[in-house]
Amino acid sequence: MKRHLTFALAQWLTDSPQLEVGEILVRRQPGGFELLHRDDLKRNDLAAHTRAEDARLLATLDDHDTYRPLKSAPNLRHGWRLLLTTPEEVRIALDYFYPAALGLFTDWQQQMLTPVDLRETLGRQSGMYAITRKITDEQAQEMIGAFCTSQGGCLKTILWSISPGLPICSLPPEKFDAHTVRGKGCNLPLLCHEACNLLVAKAREVVKSAAKAE
Amino acid sequence: MRETVRLCLQRRFYSFSMLTKPESALVVVGHGSTVNPDSSAPTYDHAETIAHKGIFGEVHCAFWKEEPSLRQVLHMVDCDDIYVVPNFISEGYFTRTVIPRELGLNGAITEIGGRTIKYCEPSGNHPGMTDLLLRRAREVAPEALPEETALFIVGHGTDLNENSAVAAKREVERIRARGIYAEVLNAYMEEAPLIADWHALATQPNIVVVPFFISDGLHSYQDIPVLLGIEAEPGAAASQREVFRMNPHHLRRRTLYYASAIGTEPLFADVIVDQVECFDRQHLIFS
Repeated sequence: MKRHLTFALAQWLTDSPQLEVGEILVRRQPGGFELLHRDDLKRNDLAAHTRAEDARLLATLDDHDTYRPLKSAPNLRHGWRLLLTTPEEVRIALDYFYPAALGLFTDWQQQMLTPVDLRETLGRQSGMYAITRKITDEQAQEMIGAFCTSQGGCLKTILWSISPGLPICSLPPEKFDAHTVRGKGCNLPLLCHEACNLLVAKAREVVKSAAKAE
Repeated sequence: MRETVRLCLQRRFYSFSMLTKPESALVVVGHGSTVNPDSSAPTYDHAETIAHKGIFGEVHCAFWKEEPSLRQVLHMVDCDDIYVVPNFISEGYFTRTVIPRELGLNGAITEIGGRTIKYCEPSGNHPGMTDLLLRRAREVAPEALPEETALFIVGHGTDLNENSAVAAKREVERIRARGIYAEVLNAYMEEAPLIADWHALATQPNIVVVPFFISDGLHSYQDIPVLLGIEAEPGAAASQREVFRMNPHHLRRRTLYYASAIGTEPLFADVIVDQVECFDRQHLIFS
């Protein structure tokens, strides 16, 4: 049955005057919606954009014009506001800022999101990434603790474990609780249901580096 | 020749205006990069062009190296009927192994959780590629007489990308058969014939080089210019420069024109849409 993610988003935007998504605030305003960096609430020198597709460029580079390969890293560019008219435009913009966040959260709410543990993710890799399955549990714990931390790493809430029965112990408990994020108000948590390719690439570095050291 | 190419493209893509799939989603899959945004830019651009045409109910991108990932993208889609078109220059490891595995596909048509996913041919396999290469060659060197010009189609050419070399050879044979250019040659970055030897491979006074790549990423924008000799060392990424290279370049007593990657050609959007139509024709699906 066809889903209606835009309707779900429109409902949230109706129910609350403000929606927080990662570092972004979505606010209702006369004639539509305003998106801006949450740190920029008190600024009055923000550059105005009016196309949902402008979000792509705003999400691509950080304040130092450095490329952001991980959209959920806490380094979203400041100094802009995006003025949009319809919930559909807001959805398009949010999918540029935080790809799939809306769909993943909706599926999670409806219990249609299946987390995939790290061992399964690494186990299906091929080519240059096949070597990642050699990472030890200890190396994985250390790598995840450093790479996925919300303090400078990634803002997502992790739903997966290292392997069945082996949770991640190298990050604080709130990193794994989507309800905690949701409980702060009208927030749309950024969910991570499976290790991303950046983490898989990092695992390759860890395994190769350990092999070199031996 | 320009008029001929234009008419060919119009004929080939004539049916676009007829295609309408409001109950279907299109997912365009690119490689992406963790280093710079140039790899994914053409895929995003073509997807936006297609979205604005209103052919599909929704249009999304997904990438191997960027977000949205292949593991995320299906969660973004509303429609139950989903076409997936790989924006890759040829069949190969990614189109045959990585994309099907990551999306959970088991063939051309896969049913997953009440959804139908239709896996189309990569954009680079489209028969219109030959016309696009000719169009790009003509655009980059409008003043060069074809009968005094050698056209190079440059691919990557390694064991991992063996099919990109095959695809580039196929295009060279097709262009050569049209008898437009005095010479039409294949060359590669990492295997013979090497693009670094262009001056020995070609005999004509004008040289036109078109990279057979999807984007102006590291290879076509930074590596090949060094191999050609138009730059001493790899320059900044395409996204960090305001303009593309200034043509022509006068090297080794020849006049050399270097084009941007074929995948940046705006008509690639039409090619992607046409791959959906080709899929429907092959599988007898009617809108």
